[in-house]
Amino acid sequence: MSAVVATVPADSRWRDLRAMAAALRTSAGQAWAERGSLAVALLFYVVVVSALSGVWRAAATNGGGSIAGYSAIALTWYIATSEAAVMSVSQRLIEDTGRDVADGEVAIEMLRPTSVLGLRVAAELGRSLVRLTGIIPVGLVLAVVVAGAPPRPAALVLAVPSLLLAVTTNVTAQHAFAGTAFWIRHVGAAWFLYLKLVFVLGGMLLPLEVLPDGVAAVARLLPFQAMAYAPARLAAGHLEPWLLLGQVAWLAVAVLVARAVFRAGERRLQETGG
Amino acid sequence: MGIEVRDLTRTFTVGRRARRRTVEAVRGISLSVAPGERVAFLGPNGAGKSTTIKILTGILHPTSGDATVLGIVPWEERRRLARRIGTLFGQRSLLWSELSPRQSYRMLAAVYGLDGASEARRVAELADLLEAGDLFDQPVRTLSLGQRMRCELAACLLHDPEVVFLDEPTIGLDLLAKQRFREMVVRLNEDQGTTVLLTSHDVADVEHVAERAIVVNHGAVIYDDAVAVMRRALLATKVVEVGLAAPVPVPDLPGVTVLDHSEQSLRLVVDTRVTPVRRVLDALLAGPAVVDVSVVDPPLEQVIAEIYERPAS
Repeated sequence: MSAVVATVPADSRWRDLRAMAAALRTSAGQAWAERGSLAVALLFYVVVVSALSGVWRAAATNGGGSIAGYSAIALTWYIATSEAAVMSVSQRLIEDTGRDVADGEVAIEMLRPTSVLGLRVAAELGRSLVRLTGIIPVGLVLAVVVAGAPPRPAALVLAVPSLLLAVTTNVTAQHAFAGTAFWIRHVGAAWFLYLKLVFVLGGMLLPLEVLPDGVAAVARLLPFQAMAYAPARLAAGHLEPWLLLGQVAWLAVAVLVARAVFRAGERRLQETGG
Repeated sequence: MGIEVRDLTRTFTVGRRARRRTVEAVRGISLSVAPGERVAFLGPNGAGKSTTIKILTGILHPTSGDATVLGIVPWEERRRLARRIGTLFGQRSLLWSELSPRQSYRMLAAVYGLDGASEARRVAELADLLEAGDLFDQPVRTLSLGQRMRCELAACLLHDPEVVFLDEPTIGLDLLAKQRFREMVVRLNEDQGTTVLLTSHDVADVEHVAERAIVVNHGAVIYDDAVAVMRRALLATKVVEVGLAAPVPVPDLPGVTVLDHSEQSLRLVVDTRVTPVRRVLDALLAGPAVVDVSVVDPPLEQVIAEIYERPAS
């Protein structure tokens, strides 16, 4: 054998974190190299935000200047932020992960001495952060041009960490959902359902306050509002720092659930062969 | 400590409800691979080799039996074992398409816990071993398949594994790339003492890489011996190739069939159980027309096909 390769300290948690950081950097590099698809995503974002914010501004104007406490300006900042949060994350992540479980890709990843889930989440975060980094300045310019200055700059500053939490929670939660592929071969239905829940109950298309009271109350109890509503409400000028605390709590839940699902799924794969 | 397997079995339940049944994918496989050996693990599709490899790499539990790889029970300590083995699957990539191999190696180095200095030293070592240094800085998508597979092999070897599992590593490569890849694997084994377990449907991989072949079929080992012995001992047929100065008649002997015959050459297949090769040669050499004779073994494909047809012992 050649000389024994030196390794970093053997603490497995530290090793896993280092591996995740490397996966995040590498996938971000890959996403940056695919600038063409980033440009398409940005264009799509501009079109969607322009259209939706136009609809909401018209509705606010007809409604006497505001809807459920959101002015026309606030609604534009809301939509620019909620779309940024959701469009930064791959919409087909559940389906793609499900396919990787079904065709044995995940089994191959189990041959690495680190967490399969950790590497997958980190790699997806790398891609999402590149998209978010592109979307944020475009969103800022778009919202200023279309609606004017943000309703409350201090709240907008809080929207940045909130966006990061929203993206991370979304990516992690999608992995938790996708983990059902260890048991159910085709997770297309779960992917479709998840997306619709984020769109409506997550507050991507409209603020939760606009929903009927009962539906809004349910939506506030679900994790989806941490993925779009929280940063969007902050950007719309509501200085409510506890929204970030809620996001942290939902992220912790998503991490715990995803870990439990992947552990059980990997064990199942080992025991049954899939 | 190489690979030790004793009475390994694995059953799967397939079908639903009334059609539910148990399939025995692996039926009592026992084998042993010494450190530094190059072994081909062969069998037709569905023979049980993938299941065995999955068990040996720790991603599948056996139903019964024992196995250790480098002294580790794979399914009990999968992650610990993963640090000491390498795996390369011909149809799956370890590299990121838009990045250079070197960037992917940086990530894999972190996964395997290599520090920066070790990573740099190992990448340089592999560039030298695989003659691939000039490829490491090009985006993977710009590499030919043969070049990519050399970079994939480097990725698989980055953490200096003691055992490597190569699963159809030359699939899709052209002849020259295949030949080069095989040379690299042999060099790796000879220079670094890495144990190689190769599965392939390409007989030339077996011939040029492996010293020993283990053949499984229907979930059981049906052959385990040196590749050279496999070729020599298992078929009673020989191919006699003759160069001619003038046309000669084909010897009229039992067990001799003509593969092809022209004015300058003659190729015969001799069943040595019926007629010894020597009798055929005597008959041919009786005249003055023969200028060259060679007796060769039949192609390995034929040998392996014959082994596949044997019942499990």
